[in-house]
Amino acid sequence: MKKENYISIKTFCERHGVGESFVYSMYEYEILQVEQEKDDGMLHIEDLPLLEKMVRLHNELDINLEGLQAIYHLLGQVESLQQEVASLKRKLDTLK
Amino acid sequence: MDFIDYYKVLGVDKKASTDQIKKAYRKLARKYHPDLNPNDKEAEKNFKQVNEANEVLSDPEKRKKYDEYGKDWQHAEEFEKAKRSRAQQGRQGDYSGYTYSHSGGSAQDFSDFFESMFGGASGFGSRGQKVRYRGQDYNAQLQLSLIDVYATQKQTLTVNGKNIRLTIPAGIEDGQTIKIKGHGGPGIEGGPAGDLYITFSIVNNTAFKRDGANLYKTVQVPLVKAVLGGEIQVETLTGKVKLKVAPGTDNGTKVKLKGKGLPKYKKEGQFGDLYLTYIVKIPKTLTKEQKSLFESLAKTNLE
Repeated sequence: MKKENYISIKTFCERHGVGESFVYSMYEYEILQVEQEKDDGMLHIEDLPLLEKMVRLHNELDINLEGLQAIYHLLGQVESLQQEVASLKRKLDTLK
Repeated sequence: MDFIDYYKVLGVDKKASTDQIKKAYRKLARKYHPDLNPNDKEAEKNFKQVNEANEVLSDPEKRKKYDEYGKDWQHAEEFEKAKRSRAQQGRQGDYSGYTYSHSGGSAQDFSDFFESMFGGASGFGSRGQKVRYRGQDYNAQLQLSLIDVYATQKQTLTVNGKNIRLTIPAGIEDGQTIKIKGHGGPGIEGGPAGDLYITFSIVNNTAFKRDGANLYKTVQVPLVKAVLGGEIQVETLTGKVKLKVAPGTDNGTKVKLKGKGLPKYKKEGQFGDLYLTYIVKIPKTLTKEQKSLFESLAKTNLE
């Protein structure tokens, strides 16, 4: 585990004003990975944008944890559908 | 500059309580929040309006000022004067060839109306700015022509005063986004920097249609050559080629020119194909002699 690629859950939660249980719920819902470094739970920095998005949705829009899990899956679907539509549009364009 | 009715934006009464405003804001934010509407410019625009309305109406001081000035909006000279004297701050950057903007979280660029009244994003407290650890992600848009896509391009971008050398692999798709790690906003107190996302928009002003690495084009074949066979010249992306047309070529015949498409993205040395569709050109004007030859042909009962 390369240290510079991880941040402790504790630090993250202090900065974002959320409880650690929030991050562990996201882990439980398979939205992100948590690594153990001695007694500290660590987050990969690649997961930070996603986790910060979840924090925003939770804090700014009052969305509860179950709602976040549902949004996470639906957003994944929206993005793959958007890609599919873009690729179909390109194909359609070649037939015009 | 038009007056913006913030009450109307949030769909609340002018006498609405702070709670009602908060509720209305949250309801609309859940609809338009950029985190819930990926790649949706319209939603982003709506969110900015809703956010701005909330910024004003949820702050008692700003709301008071807005209510007072709002009444006399027809005497707007004061605003115009204030607007002229104030330096524009906090706007999104605009660079030659590409634009970039910050993304994620609350939108922080405001309308001219807002800035004229409250002095731009820097004119008030950091209520809208969230405590962050990781730096902000930046989004940039870069335009290329289809011809540029044929070869790997090297470009230098300047984002926030930093030069970024960029290699754009040949065969990049229209709408494709490349992530440049660590070139977003700086992290806070040792946090990692954000990333820079560059989305490419490929302008196609050629006769070719594109699907991935394959190119498509329709080519006209003179009637006589379609019937008797012959040679035609076709323009490909990299130059002209001579093609043999087989005798009795049908209208709509498809021909594949292997390897004459675009390079395949990140697969060096591999190319897509060029697909030609032949359109048999029917002559519209005939000389007297040609017409009589066609008439003789018709007499042979050729079908």
